Amino acid sequence: MKLTINEVAQCLRLPVTTVDRWIRQGRIPIQKSSNGYIVNESALEKWAAMYRLPFSLPKKVNTQTQAVRLENLLPAMNRGGVIYGIKGDDVETVLRGAVEKMRLPLGTSKEKLYQCLLEREHLTSTGIGKGVAIPHPHDPLPDTFEKPVITTGFLEKPIDFYAIDDRLVFVMFILLSPSIKFHLHLLSRLSFCVRDNAFVEFLKTCPDSSAYFSKIADFEKQLDRADNS
Amino acid sequence: MDHQLLHIFRNTPMGRETLLQSIYFCKKVGASPVIYVPKSTKFLMYFENDVVQIDLDTSYLTSPDTAIAHATELVEQGALNVNFLEPKHYTASTLPDIPTTFDYMCCPRSVSDLASKIGLGYIGPRVRRIVRSARFPVLITSPVFKAWKSIAVFFGGSANAVNALRLGFHISRVSGMPLDVFTQVENRSPESYRQIVKDENLEQEMDRYVNDWHFFENRVFEENIFDVPHDALVVVGAFGHGVIRNFVFGSKMEKIQSTVSNSLLIAGPNYTATR
Amino acid sequence: MRVLKLWRYPANWAIFRLDDRLLLILMAIIVGNCSGLASVILNRSLLAMSEWLYHFRSHWWVFVLPAVGAALSSLFLEKVVKEGAGHGVPEVIYSVSRYGGLLRFRSSFSRLISSCLTIGSGGSAGPEAPVVISGAAIGSNIAKYFSLNDRQRVTLVGCGAAGAISSIFNAPIAGMVFAIEVIVGEWKSVNIVPIAIAAVAGTEISRILQGNQIPFSHHLFKFDLLNVFACIGLAVLSAAASILLTRTLRSMHTLSHKLSGPLWLRAAIGGCAVGIIGLFLPVVLGEGYQTVEALIGGRYSQGLAFVALASFAKIAATALTLGWGGSGGIFAPCLVIGSLVGVTYHHFLSLLWSSALWANEGYYALLGMAGLISGMLQAPLTGIFLIIEITGGYEVILPLIVVSAVTTTLCHYIEPASYYLKDLVEHGHLLRPGTDARVLSDLNVPELIERDCIIVKQNMLLRDFVHIVQKSHRNYFPVEDDKTGNFLGIIHWDDIRPYLFNPVMYDAVFLGQIMNTHVEVVHPDDDLLEVLRKMDIKGLFSMPVVMNNRFVGLISKATILDRYRKELMVQTSH
Repeated sequence: MKLTINEVAQCLRLPVTTVDRWIRQGRIPIQKSSNGYIVNESALEKWAAMYRLPFSLPKKVNTQTQAVRLENLLPAMNRGGVIYGIKGDDVETVLRGAVEKMRLPLGTSKEKLYQCLLEREHLTSTGIGKGVAIPHPHDPLPDTFEKPVITTGFLEKPIDFYAIDDRLVFVMFILLSPSIKFHLHLLSRLSFCVRDNAFVEFLKTCPDSSAYFSKIADFEKQLDRADNS
Repeated sequence: MDHQLLHIFRNTPMGRETLLQSIYFCKKVGASPVIYVPKSTKFLMYFENDVVQIDLDTSYLTSPDTAIAHATELVEQGALNVNFLEPKHYTASTLPDIPTTFDYMCCPRSVSDLASKIGLGYIGPRVRRIVRSARFPVLITSPVFKAWKSIAVFFGGSANAVNALRLGFHISRVSGMPLDVFTQVENRSPESYRQIVKDENLEQEMDRYVNDWHFFENRVFEENIFDVPHDALVVVGAFGHGVIRNFVFGSKMEKIQSTVSNSLLIAGPNYTATR
Repeated sequence: MRVLKLWRYPANWAIFRLDDRLLLILMAIIVGNCSGLASVILNRSLLAMSEWLYHFRSHWWVFVLPAVGAALSSLFLEKVVKEGAGHGVPEVIYSVSRYGGLLRFRSSFSRLISSCLTIGSGGSAGPEAPVVISGAAIGSNIAKYFSLNDRQRVTLVGCGAAGAISSIFNAPIAGMVFAIEVIVGEWKSVNIVPIAIAAVAGTEISRILQGNQIPFSHHLFKFDLLNVFACIGLAVLSAAASILLTRTLRSMHTLSHKLSGPLWLRAAIGGCAVGIIGLFLPVVLGEGYQTVEALIGGRYSQGLAFVALASFAKIAATALTLGWGGSGGIFAPCLVIGSLVGVTYHHFLSLLWSSALWANEGYYALLGMAGLISGMLQAPLTGIFLIIEITGGYEVILPLIVVSAVTTTLCHYIEPASYYLKDLVEHGHLLRPGTDARVLSDLNVPELIERDCIIVKQNMLLRDFVHIVQKSHRNYFPVEDDKTGNFLGIIHWDDIRPYLFNPVMYDAVFLGQIMNTHVEVVHPDDDLLEVLRKMDIKGLFSMPVVMNNRFVGLISKATILDRYRKELMVQTSH
């Protein structure tokens, strides 16, 4: 494979003008001939190693950065599903009830998940106000989940969740994600939805899952538009 | 937009014509002129593999007090920003070094001999050296300012001619002027020229920018040259590889510069069309 | 045609592509021979000139001769080859520092002719500097012909200088050391080997053409410890003489520049003055090699007062010749002044303490030469090796080293830069490889520009801007005018921080109101040294690059550090 001077510059992570100057000054083993440059890749690699300069072929760099594309709410919610009529009078029973009803990947210990959620709840309440709570484990669970999962749970009757505005909580979004990055991304989008009072009112009606998901899809569109403007 | 044209100002009526030509060129291609008002007749230009000492003729130093004002006035009439070049470094105390990182340079046909010698068919030795060593194309102006309305590229099939063609595309793209290509057919078919363009992956650009591709089948080049519009900017490559050709330009180039009085934009052998 | 083309690009031949040392050695032989030849030619033509002018010496008007010679040489430099006056060595070092040793072709012969005119007619100057610049220019042009790169070209420039010095003095080591110490300034095997080969080639060509003779041979000296200590006194004296010479040269230079009138007239005036001094003291005329020979051989029988006067006269004559526009170098006058100073010192010692066992005057003459060369050039190694080689006197190496070291140090106190480098240092043009100044001059602003800034408009609302901030990974946002696209100012993340958590402000504030308009900007042509100085003074970490009122990009200290380090690594380690 023959490298062009632009590719050499990419390999060294330097501007082309610098590489061009180095060729002129004779600092880099590339020769200039009447019709272009003579580049010897192995000599170049050896040279870079001798001067301890970073040198890597550009292709590897490209594939890495492309892969990471954050997922949005809707697929995560679809995976988690919606649970209605969770029974209980206090935080512990409500959480336990929700975890019992959740669809989880095979081999996941529901007890352990419950403990994780509870532990986080002991630090501070995840009730973010307006009757909404977003229980989640303190640390992400990369071993259990490959992709983030949001389970929406409607309570049978509002309970005291020790929320910041002391209002009774009637709906929970249980947010489980493989990494902090996913967690923050989804949390930010979720809180954007909850900020809308109309949406909270809509949730109070315990809508069926298809109406609920289409509402979320509307929000997603709004968010995407804001991102790309 | 950040292209720059180097102009060495000669404070005479003839120098004014040259500057007008530069200003027109800058406006068309969206470059900004950088004007050097010489304070001594000598300066050096350090190119990649050559250093050229340019000994200007004394008319460049005519009334130095008015030079700046004259140049400023002309450039401002052309609604461009004036930039004057102050040499930063000196080789010996009397020899300023003029940078060579510009994108174009404007020259009359001769800078070192008296203006009376300037005529068709004559390009001074210093201007030739500049063309040969420079990475930028050199605009050699006609003696009197004349606006050009189209671009004519001479394409003879060599590597240098391909560079000239690329340069022509570039000028056409930024100026929006129509482009014509002229080829003197020599011992091969017009198809072979098309093949060269195809090999260089220039076919798309060819379709997009080129108005017409004229092939001269007539053997006598000088007779054919009459077809080149009088108000065209002639873009041509100066061939310069090999041993003898370092001292003389290609034969076509010499013929062109001795027969047409249009402004010439010459891509030298070191011109790189990377930008 | 193909063969010829290949021949022009030897650096692209497969055998030289990975390691060019062999190529450089081959080139060094060619360059060494050519520059050696140049110095032989100059030497021969000087001899011919002085023979031809010998029988004019008896006429009363002989003092006009140096004037005519100097005027002619000045006219030749100015009108024919159109080069500046001066001895040219700084020009070589300048070009090596900044432009990879590119020199004009005309330099390879111009100084030879002009210095031949000056010196041959009796001006007090040396042929060495002209030969050095010729050799260097020959090396540079050979490198240019073969399209070598900057590093290789610099080595060949050094080769040319080495070949010239070795040939003119028949002193290969001195030539080599001079080229490395003064011209190239980089002690690396890639340079040393070809330069050494060139020195050998230069010496060899001169030996073939002129015979192998030591220029200033002498008898063996007998000296004891006392004399070695006495050298320190001589070192002080020769340091004083070098300072005096430097100062007189410079004051003459400024004096002649105050005079309006053509250059050749100034040179003629200087030459005339030298001629008049020469009427009374013929020692001062010409390059003075015979004088040196006589002094070392102990055949110079004048008394203390006369020798002391002769030293001053030679200093004055050299300053008059070179300062007023004659062409030539400082080497040979240094040797003459040095030997005169040495003999003066010897006479003074004998007068002071006649009973002591002083070594003979040749010994002091020799040490004086070493002292002056090291003092003027501030290149102790060149001084030591040159004197050893041109006198063949290895037995005096110990006092020689003492004198060279002490003189160099003393001169360095008073004149921090040597005669060759003074102007360069003053203008910041002395850029030795691997130094901070060199790295900064090699890097330039366009290479460092970061272009991934998001440009915002003046009439944008803070609300829209907050969205942009969310997506950007930079802290700086340049602001442009809506219509003209001119750069107006810059907004730093810190500027909006106070309003960021106050949504009321979002729709009330335009960016034009928050931005900083008094920003230090950089032009792409600015020197990096200057840019960094600005950053240091104002405590900035980033500066916008603006050209023709347009924002081009951002330049930041972080990027500069990264590139600076890479540049330094590439320049130094080997």
